[in-house]
Amino acid sequence: MHIDWFVFLAQIFNFLLLMYLLKRFLYGRIIKAMDDREAKIAARFAEADELKAKADEAARLYEKRNQVLNEKKEIMLNEATMAADAKRKELMEKVRVEVDQVKARWQDMLVREQDAFFYDLRQRAAKQLYATARKALSDLADADLEERIVDEFLRRVQALDEEKSIQMRKAISGGGNLVTIQSAFGISASRQTQIEEVLKKQITNGFKIRYLKQPDIVSGIEMRVNGHKIAWSLNEYLETLVESLTETLQKEAHA
Amino acid sequence: MEVVLLNQISPDQVIIWSWNFIIFNVTILYTWLVMAILVVGSWLITRNLSSEMNVSRWQHFLEVIISVIRGEISEMTKKGADHYVPLIGTLFLFICVSNVLVIVPGFVAPTSSMTTTAALATCVFIAVPYYGISRNGVFHYVREYFQPTFIFFPFHVMGELSRTLALTVRLFGNIMSHEKVIGILLAVTPFLFPVVMQILGLLIGVIQAYIFAILSMVYIASALSAEDEGHTEVKKEGSPA
Repeated sequence: MHIDWFVFLAQIFNFLLLMYLLKRFLYGRIIKAMDDREAKIAARFAEADELKAKADEAARLYEKRNQVLNEKKEIMLNEATMAADAKRKELMEKVRVEVDQVKARWQDMLVREQDAFFYDLRQRAAKQLYATARKALSDLADADLEERIVDEFLRRVQALDEEKSIQMRKAISGGGNLVTIQSAFGISASRQTQIEEVLKKQITNGFKIRYLKQPDIVSGIEMRVNGHKIAWSLNEYLETLVESLTETLQKEAHA
Repeated sequence: MEVVLLNQISPDQVIIWSWNFIIFNVTILYTWLVMAILVVGSWLITRNLSSEMNVSRWQHFLEVIISVIRGEISEMTKKGADHYVPLIGTLFLFICVSNVLVIVPGFVAPTSSMTTTAALATCVFIAVPYYGISRNGVFHYVREYFQPTFIFFPFHVMGELSRTLALTVRLFGNIMSHEKVIGILLAVTPFLFPVVMQILGLLIGVIQAYIFAILSMVYIASALSAEDEGHTEVKKEGSPA
């Protein structure tokens, strides 16, 4: 084949020129753009890796903190439970004490009410018994019950032994020679004279007698001298009756 | 039936203008056309390049081509592919565009001129020692011609010349013969068959561009790797038809 050497050299020059132009307008720019993009992608990956590492670190940190918090929470919960138990026991103890106090107060009040009730009952029973006995005595013996009471009182004075008489005498002299006789009823003048004579005869002379009407003394009479007394009343019987009645009532209440 | 004259077998014979030894023929004209298409197209696409994630389709197209060329070169040289991209890439793009434009009526591929293919092969012939010496030095490059003994020196020289000749004739023969076959077929057969042959011709054109570029790179790589890694078998590789 024929080769024209001018054309041959021209084609070499053309090729070298094309290589230069493409290097300038194509390869350099394209390769630079690709390299830049790769560098950017690599930078983004590196950044992502760094962020991931930071995120992992943060996650580990938060996990650790969470664990510590859980442990603290457990401890605090246990402490709170123990404190609550202790507080509960304390409050229970306090309540128990208060309940005991209230119960004691209630029992005291109950006892007082019971005493008041029995006292009242005794009063009523005595009055009733007094009225009943007086009516029965008057119906049966046709005698005044009060006279009988005075007689019984006088009998008791006369029945004093020597030692008792001496004690009474000393008491009368120590108390300013004043004898107080209290009764639930009025004592007639003749009976007062009789009492005075019996006392002078049995105990001593030289004293003054003061008579007082005292309704609290149930159907009875009593002599008080400086801390000593001689008395008779339905109280003794009534007390026996009340004790018996109380015992019966308590048995009924507990039944 | 039209007879193809011997002086019309190459576009070199179609002279547009001449003065003394200076000749301006169709080969040079279409070479300039291909050069203009490549340069202007590259300039238009690369004037607004983006290094961000969103790029234009044409930039993607060029990046794919350049990436493939870089990848092929990297497989052979292992490193410094960008240094050889201008030569190998320009060989491939010039030959490929020249061969593909044959589909345009009236266009004659410059590569169907033996003058052009000889010029390209000569460039490769010069590039091989240029890259070999610039990489390994004169002594190491010349020493390869006397391996394993000095007796092999003439065979090495003959090998260099013969493969340059093979590059020249292979490309020229494939493209020229294709054009002539198309011309003959148009004269003797209905229209459909030449169309199929034209499509086949496009495929052959692209393959020839690839072969030329790859063989050039193989020759250069053999000169580079002979000293580095002892790949002497690559240096004397035979040329496929």
